[in-house]
Amino acid sequence: MTLGSRIRSWLRATVQRSRVESEMDAELRFHMEAYADDLVRRGVAREEALRRARLEFGGIENAKEECREARGVHLAETVLQDLRYGARTMLRSPAFTATAVLALALGIGANTAIFSVVNAVLLRPLPYDQPERLIQVWHSPPQRSFPGMPTFTVSPANFLDWRKQNHSFQGMSAYGFGRYTLTGSGHPEAIRMVAATVGLFSILHAQPLLGRGFLDGEDEPGREHEVVLSYGFWHSYFTGNPDVVGKNIQLNGQAFTVIGVMRPEFDFPISKDPHSRTQMWKPLAWTDQERAIRGDHNYAVIARLKDGVTLRQAQAELDAISNRLAQDYPDDNKGWGAIAIPLRDDVVGDVRPALLILLGAVTLVLLIACANVANLMLARALSRRKEVAVRTALGATRRRLLQQVISETLLLACAGGALGLVFAHYSLVLMVNFLAQWLPRSSEIALDGWVLAFTLGISLLTGFAAGLLPALHMAKSDLNQALKQGLGRTAADSSGSRMRDLLVVSEVALSLMLLTGAGLLIRSLWVLHNVNPGFDAHGVVTMNVSIPTNQFTEPAQQIRYFARVLDRVRNLPGVQSAGVIDSLPLSDDGSHQPISLEGRPATAMADMPEVEVRLISPGYMDTMHIPLLSGRELDDSDVAGRVGAVLVSESMAKSFWPQEDPVGKRLTLYFFPELTRVVVGVVADVKISAMNETQPQATLYFPLAQISTARGESWRSFGMKLAVRTNAAPLGVAPALAGAVREIDADVPLLNIRTMDDSVSASLSPARFTMLLLGAFAGLALLLAVVGIYSVMSYAVSRRTNEIGIRVALGASRGEVLLLIVRQALLLALIGSVIGMVGALSLSRLMASQLYGVRPTDPVTFVAVAALLMIVSLAASYIPARRAMRVDPMIALRYE
Amino acid sequence: MAKPIDLLQGTLDMLILKAVSLGPLHGYGVLLRIQQISKEQLEIQQGSLYPALYRLEHQGWIASEWGESENKRKAKYYRLTAAGKRRFQAETEKWNRMADVIAGILSATPEEV
Repeated sequence: MTLGSRIRSWLRATVQRSRVESEMDAELRFHMEAYADDLVRRGVAREEALRRARLEFGGIENAKEECREARGVHLAETVLQDLRYGARTMLRSPAFTATAVLALALGIGANTAIFSVVNAVLLRPLPYDQPERLIQVWHSPPQRSFPGMPTFTVSPANFLDWRKQNHSFQGMSAYGFGRYTLTGSGHPEAIRMVAATVGLFSILHAQPLLGRGFLDGEDEPGREHEVVLSYGFWHSYFTGNPDVVGKNIQLNGQAFTVIGVMRPEFDFPISKDPHSRTQMWKPLAWTDQERAIRGDHNYAVIARLKDGVTLRQAQAELDAISNRLAQDYPDDNKGWGAIAIPLRDDVVGDVRPALLILLGAVTLVLLIACANVANLMLARALSRRKEVAVRTALGATRRRLLQQVISETLLLACAGGALGLVFAHYSLVLMVNFLAQWLPRSSEIALDGWVLAFTLGISLLTGFAAGLLPALHMAKSDLNQALKQGLGRTAADSSGSRMRDLLVVSEVALSLMLLTGAGLLIRSLWVLHNVNPGFDAHGVVTMNVSIPTNQFTEPAQQIRYFARVLDRVRNLPGVQSAGVIDSLPLSDDGSHQPISLEGRPATAMADMPEVEVRLISPGYMDTMHIPLLSGRELDDSDVAGRVGAVLVSESMAKSFWPQEDPVGKRLTLYFFPELTRVVVGVVADVKISAMNETQPQATLYFPLAQISTARGESWRSFGMKLAVRTNAAPLGVAPALAGAVREIDADVPLLNIRTMDDSVSASLSPARFTMLLLGAFAGLALLLAVVGIYSVMSYAVSRRTNEIGIRVALGASRGEVLLLIVRQALLLALIGSVIGMVGALSLSRLMASQLYGVRPTDPVTFVAVAALLMIVSLAASYIPARRAMRVDPMIALRYE
Repeated sequence: MAKPIDLLQGTLDMLILKAVSLGPLHGYGVLLRIQQISKEQLEIQQGSLYPALYRLEHQGWIASEWGESENKRKAKYYRLTAAGKRRFQAETEKWNRMADVIAGILSATPEEV
């Protein structure tokens, strides 16, 4: 066969369909007439001749169909026909169509929404050139001192050695976050600033939009007064003025020159939401003194792999360098390794498990929706048996019938997909609002081309999947029997109802799996809600008093400033008590420090125990209602020049002095060695960084009034968090608080004014979010399963009307009839539940990382979920069962 | 006249190619020509003639165009294409060989086996 002729006939058939069709008619008509003419010539009457011509030709429609098929254009043309036919059928039964489309729309919509999140967060490459070669390098801290902590920030001296000695990376840059205040126009503005060693922009392959990046040597002290602006900041603050390059701005009271503006898409580090994007970058200039710091770890490190170097090779080299450094500087480096993590894993590693669980959940929902539609189609196949038989008799082939059913489910699925997109759009709007706080890259979430392609793909797949079983079933029905018996039962019936039972069982099993997952999350959130954080959040308002770095040139000034702030605040109406701390509970920015205990053998710094160290003012414990367990609280007598006083947490007391009274014990903080400190009291444990902490963290509190310059560094003043307990509405007091603080110094920005209740709630929000979504999906699954059970039982009742009639006629009571139907439903639910339990047991283990205080095999959840499904199945079968109860035996027996 | 015999499976295509190789014909003409050449001994199902014509045209062995019939009606005429001519020769050869072989088998006597 020649390609040309094939294409020509395809084209003719698709483009000029109606012409081809009428030509075929004309040709066949000519044939009949010519034959009839011949007959007339042989003496047959005209009427009779035409009749005989038609008769001898045989089934004309059949022949036409074969002609169409012979042209090889059957598919394209009949699909159109089937779609038109399908659309008509769908419009004829709006209830069926609405149910099926809605089920599919929910399934496809949920998948689209979650996929667009997964696509933006996990799949889409990070917004850099060759992002897969970007690596984050961290310290891996000694596990003895930092149990369970995989990564740690990096010290300057170690970073410089890594950078000098490695051959794996094209470049390495250390960076940290600075606290800078922009003054010069109206209110002081706190700036989100990243200070990075030279090379950051070239490692990221980032070109500025205006001006330039940093030059070699600009990370030397004295030359670092330069900033590169983010596009967003440039736009909002300088209204996009292109002359900005070369201008001076005032940061922390010093002049900085703007040397460049980055492109709109540039963001580093990757922010969680658009409101927390970095606004400026400046060179990180270490003094010689700072370059020598090895034991104080405060920086993050980004690097780019050289071409041809693998992550494994880089890691091996880092291991070798770390080992050397540990030998050369055992005091600081013993046990400290280095770990290379691909940037993407570093950014999204934390949220991956939750997102994958949600993706799994929506897949299950879609499967259930598919089963549901298959079920509805099978039920409808019964009422359409006669139609199918007629079509078969008229020459429809088996393949044609299959194609017909699949076309219909495809049509349903595409309608479902379109509606699903609408659902997905609105649920994304809702989700992104919630997500912004904890999901990296949430600003990139969108219904883009990939997502649309995904939606189209799963819609088609769903259409095929949902249509396959009903299609095979329909094509199997026996023509003769169907025609003879009309709407009665045939052999294919029982196979159809077996298939439907199977579908219901799998729907129940899948929903049980989802419900179990949601149940486990609900249980753990419940446990979390009732966890005692160790403090009383109610009635407490907090804010960052974010004084600029270097605002005060010596410790005493900072101490005096906060004493004045507290003094002023405590005298405000509605304020019960107030205190400051460097890092509030449930936040990540606290400091870990090595300590040495008096009376124990002296060791190198690397071998010292590490504890959480917090700097507080008197009144803090009181404000937070953290109970004092023994000894006394810190008070105004614990000031510079007096004996150093510290409070320790209960867990610290237990792990350091298991059998003794900790009060009176003496210790030294490694970074502040000039003062020996005495434990004066023991306080209760609090949740340090999150509500779902499983181990209490050993914590030491020492008074702000006894702060000094850290070992080996020069003094830098820093901000503190103000906590205030009020007897009025906490946020109502906030403006007065802010006013009081500004009266002391108008240039201090106040950030993050929020209640402690909000902080507790925010700490739970990732767990709550996963729970809400999974709960919603499980609810959806349950709903779909109920529809499935209901439709199967309704069908069973209508099919067994005859049998029920006989039973009633023979004396069965209404109760027995009810039981008969309900029993069947419960049996299906029970089988489904058992299968679902097995599935849930094997899947729930994957959720372990998301659970708190609940085991993945929690029997309470499993039993509750199974019971719920049973009750729901019972309810779903009750309506059809009642219909069965009311069957009139006389009518039923006449029924067929 | 002997009772007409049914067509052997798969031979209709070859007969159509032969019929139109003698000159362009419309569908009804093909039917008449085959019956005429076979001296009315072959019975062709009229319904199966057209699908065969469409198939052959789709495969490019024959081509069609509209023309005027003997009695001044519009009719679709089929003619053999170059590709169809080659195809027909190949088919004819194949058929003749097979006919020979089968005839040889059927006429075999016990002594020859």
